Amino acid sequence: MRFADRAAPTLLITLTLFVFVLLYGPLMVPIVSSFFTVSHGTVDWSQPTTSAYVALTQNDSVLSALWTTLIVGAGAVVLSVALGTGLALYYASPNAKGRNFLQFIIFLPFLMPPIITGLALLIFFRQVEFERSLLTIIIGHTVFVLALVYRTILTRLQSLSGSLVEASYDLGASSWQTFRLVLLPNLSSAMAGAAILAFALSFDETMITLLVTGTQSTLPVRLWAMMRLGFTPDINALVALVLLFTTALCLIAVRYLMPASAVAGSDDN
Amino acid sequence: MSDSAAHAGPHRLTPWLATLAAYIVPLGFVLAPMALFLVYSFFSVDHGSIVFSPTISNYVRFFTDPVFLPIFWRTCLLCLAVALLCVLFAFPVAYFLTTLRGRSRYMLLVLLLVPLLMSYVIKIYAVRSILGGNGMLNRALLATGLIDKPSMLFVFNLNAVLLTLTVLLIPFAVLPIFLSLERIPKALRHASADLGATNAQTFWRVTVPLSLPGTLSAMSFVFVLAIGDFLTPQMVGGQSGFTFGRIIYSQFGTAFNWPFGAALSVILAAVVILAIRLGGRLESKHGGAK
Repeated sequence: MRFADRAAPTLLITLTLFVFVLLYGPLMVPIVSSFFTVSHGTVDWSQPTTSAYVALTQNDSVLSALWTTLIVGAGAVVLSVALGTGLALYYASPNAKGRNFLQFIIFLPFLMPPIITGLALLIFFRQVEFERSLLTIIIGHTVFVLALVYRTILTRLQSLSGSLVEASYDLGASSWQTFRLVLLPNLSSAMAGAAILAFALSFDETMITLLVTGTQSTLPVRLWAMMRLGFTPDINALVALVLLFTTALCLIAVRYLMPASAVAGSDDN
Repeated sequence: MSDSAAHAGPHRLTPWLATLAAYIVPLGFVLAPMALFLVYSFFSVDHGSIVFSPTISNYVRFFTDPVFLPIFWRTCLLCLAVALLCVLFAFPVAYFLTTLRGRSRYMLLVLLLVPLLMSYVIKIYAVRSILGGNGMLNRALLATGLIDKPSMLFVFNLNAVLLTLTVLLIPFAVLPIFLSLERIPKALRHASADLGATNAQTFWRVTVPLSLPGTLSAMSFVFVLAIGDFLTPQMVGGQSGFTFGRIIYSQFGTAFNWPFGAALSVILAAVVILAIRLGGRLESKHGGAK
């Protein structure tokens, strides 16, 4: 084997490791500094402290922002999963009219930069004299995550065999019974995965929220306001907690959505 | 009340109701706001209130004012540079991923997906803590003796925006490249080797050209995400790091000129559509056969 052929894998691994350091390295800084006192740029390793976390539990503005975020997330999840399922079923139904046009509209907020979606909604709400509130944030998030939820559910729906539905009708089931007893159980894990993804996206959404929010702020918006003032231990503590939470969400979502074969590790290339 | 109607002709009525229900939200909350926003870009502002009569003055202002066009081009270049850097970093990772099998491939893929869902604001904050005048990067460079006083090259300016956006968007570039690399049939590489090509030759003359559509769609993907961002420039760009997104955002805040902001966003949307089309067209041209 030539030298280049042996050096290539090493180079590849080095570059990959470097990218992972780029991706994860910066995140260590706030996590470490949430437990240790940092003064003049050096970390005091001798005294780990959780005081920043305790201070956080007393910070009312953060707690109310967290509450707002959870309400918005729940609202956006319920709306987007219900709508996404309905739209996926409609797209797959033989009677659907202009299904590609419809799909294009659904994808628009996801394709366009969030600033455009946010501004369009901002102008729209103002024009129809809809007071900016918690509800406008929920609508903004729903429109944003809908594309992903819809796509996830549609992909699962299309992977189901058509004979499943035909068999159900042949056996005398109504469309409602077919939906509830045949399609829904088959779609449920895709719906659950999509719901978690939607929640994770909504939990982090900042740009649209900044534009359509009234007086309430969600956690990322609150964080954004805090960060512009500088680095403090309680921001770092909050950052560490949010990272932990989103990582957990992401791992759960992956479990639901990855095909079982990928997890088991098949080699079907 | 509608019971009797529904009984009279369920097969006639249900499809129409379904169509109506399916279209109501997408039309009402996506298409209508976007259309309204396009209309707004032809209005103007006078003494803090919006004048609802059509004019193209906003667009004229964009193309003639000496401020906006240079920032627009500079932002496009910046995002192009981000896209190139991301692809440069992402390609080896994606390639490495294709050499793995089973569990390790799955784990690495998940590790790449996790940062995608992590809070955007937090990632900007984390990278900023590294870039600052007294940040990790400067400290590391000082420690290794590469520089003898903190470098200001990447402190709160456009370079900082470039670096931050690159770090943030690499995962988005890995996935399309990985998918296109995986689609290359193994037989092609084996054939190339059988015909006497070295691994390097096979890589440059078979793998790279065949992965081009994925690489280009990764670039257009990153470009679109970078150009629409106004948080990163605001957080790490400082005074000099003004980008197009930031100007648009300021029209809805401090400057309070919604119609002009809408016009600028329409221009942004046009650039985005162009980028998506370029990325997608090459993909369909090269990767047409699935």
